[in-house]
Amino acid sequence: MTTPMLEIRNLHVRIEEREILRGVNLIVPKGEVHAIMGRNGSGKSTLSYVLAGKEDYEVTEGEVLLDGVNILEMEPSDRAVAGLFLAFQYPIEIPGVATMTFLKAALNAQRKARGESEISTPDFMKAVRDAGKALHIDADMLKRALNVGFSGGEKKRAEILQMALLKPKMCILDETDSGLDIDALKVVSDGVNALRGPDRSMLVITHYQRLLNHIVPDVVHVFSDGRVVESGGKDLALELEGKGYAGFDEEKAA
Amino acid sequence: MSVHVPVRLGPAESKLIEQLTAAGAVAEAERLTGSGLPTRRVEAYHYTDLKQLLRAVPELAGAAEAASAPALRVAGAHQLMIANGIVQESGTAPAGVIVGKTTGGVLSTRDDIVTRLNNALVGEALTLELDGSVDPVIQIDRRTEGGAGHSTSAAKIYVGDGSSAVILDTYSGSDEAHLGNHATYLALGKNAKVTHITVNLAGSKATHFASNEYHLAEGAQLRTLIINAGAALSRTQLFPKYEGAGAHADVTGLNLVSDGQHADITMDALHAVPHTSSKPLFKSIARGRSRAVVQGRLVVARDAQKTDAKLMSQGLMLSDEAEILAKPELEIYADDVVCGHGATSGQLDEDHMFYLLSRGIPKAEAETMLVRAFLAELIDPIEDQALNEALTDVVDGWLARG
Ligand SMILES: Nc1ncnc2c1ncn2[C@@H]1O[C@H](COP(=O)(O)OP(=O)(O)OP(=O)(O)O)[C@@H](O)[C@H]1O
Ligand SMILES: [Mg+2]
Repeated sequence: MTTPMLEIRNLHVRIEEREILRGVNLIVPKGEVHAIMGRNGSGKSTLSYVLAGKEDYEVTEGEVLLDGVNILEMEPSDRAVAGLFLAFQYPIEIPGVATMTFLKAALNAQRKARGESEISTPDFMKAVRDAGKALHIDADMLKRALNVGFSGGEKKRAEILQMALLKPKMCILDETDSGLDIDALKVVSDGVNALRGPDRSMLVITHYQRLLNHIVPDVVHVFSDGRVVESGGKDLALELEGKGYAGFDEEKAA
Repeated sequence: MSVHVPVRLGPAESKLIEQLTAAGAVAEAERLTGSGLPTRRVEAYHYTDLKQLLRAVPELAGAAEAASAPALRVAGAHQLMIANGIVQESGTAPAGVIVGKTTGGVLSTRDDIVTRLNNALVGEALTLELDGSVDPVIQIDRRTEGGAGHSTSAAKIYVGDGSSAVILDTYSGSDEAHLGNHATYLALGKNAKVTHITVNLAGSKATHFASNEYHLAEGAQLRTLIINAGAALSRTQLFPKYEGAGAHADVTGLNLVSDGQHADITMDALHAVPHTSSKPLFKSIARGRSRAVVQGRLVVARDAQKTDAKLMSQGLMLSDEAEILAKPELEIYADDVVCGHGATSGQLDEDHMFYLLSRGIPKAEAETMLVRAFLAELIDPIEDQALNEALTDVVDGWLARG
């Protein structure tokens, strides 16, 4: 069996004495797209932050392997360089940091870590322009400070733009669909689908089956109370849509 | 009836008294003997207790050659130099600039030891008359060179009605325990537009005092950027006076302090007539065991109706031992004014930091980006491209020395 892109083994995480993740087990093989669905507060964003390396979380047990390498001890920037990317549920506004400066710094940091030379300005401009066009991102928007004054939907599109530029191998999309109108959902989904490939895996966190009509997952996981309680094919999302989490919990309890 | 308790004088005070006496400033010597250096009980020196902080004063500096290049080079700038208080010969002045010399102090008399010392001890002052739209940046390169010495410099600058100029004062020198006391008197004529940048890059053992007195006539527009990046102990005092309707100043300043440094920017502003405005904005970044002080006093005279003045102080602490102290003071005698003040202080925003890191940007670079973002408001308005870059380099250089 080939090494999975992402393997989470018995992950337990606390925030200030409260256990939020209570034994997450999850495997995303190379080239696959997996969805995570689960009710509010069940710990989906917490999982995504822990994978990306945010402080304030205490991992008490378990392992996370990215392409076979344990990443839990790595700095967030090293994880990104290793190919992990989190599209934030709530992208952060950073006044005073120009979007283009940021994009270039991120791209060059990753190139440098891989021993590549800095991207030339014309190449960079072209890459941003092309990626922006595909996502219907207004060029003027990119002249502003990072995410500052972007609408909810614009922020989400900007996250996918970053993903398209950085070409990570493991993409985690935390509710990228929320805040998107119907047309934007299509554009963003197309953008995400364009990035699908044998060497790239995705973990798509969402509340809505609708997104999964556009980004068709290989596997759907149901998340409840800090762990994966059920995994199945894309029909699992439909089933969930039908009976809700409550029905699902009852079935489990029975 | 008050009982006179003689002040106990320390070695720094004794040395200053000796120097004042030798310079013939007997009255000043007696005054200092009576008062001693200001302690924290003196409001204007509350966070910069000179009696505590100024432990020694070196001998008066003699003439010295400034062999090295200026601490800050700005492409295209016209350079003038004052070395150990002595105005140096300079090349042909650009159009609209008359360079000269005068003797004696340039600052108004006030109840303040730093300005009094400057007035009493200064030998000669550089004079500048700027007229029309002065093109190159005018740089006054002030040096304290040679062995440890106490030197006093002064410049008196007039900018004519409707004229515009960018003036850069830089302070640097040999790495000795100097005491440099520098004065700038800058008068803006009607509708004159001036940018005044000062960059303190004094050596790590030095003490740096600077006092800038600004006079703004009708419609005059001033922008300052006062950077304290050098010296073990520095205090830069700003005395803007709004004397004509429509006068406006963006008085901005920046303390950059590292381990062992104490930097102070103290402004004492007077809105003297109706319809003037100011936007003082001071920022401090402190790391290691260091202390940055910002004091802002806004006085609005009884007649100065419609004054619009907002004072802001923002601090960024990059270590747990760093201290940033801000003290605003509003003294308003007019009743129809809009005046206010605010102060914030904190560390780099963790969420901002995480966002940048999560994209692969290494920690040091992310920190630099966020610090630059914090300072953008101060640096961005500097329109001269070469000057803007030079100031960015000062900040980046400071960060790199982290
Ligand atoms: N910094 C924190 N301090 C304390 N509790 C936290 C913190 N972050 C998250 N939590 C708690 O952890 C639980 C899981 O939150 P999380 O954001 O991971 O949920 P989620 O599954 O992403 O929910 P949603 O679907 O609403 O986005 C919640 O009860 C939340 O209140
Ligand atoms: Mg969430």
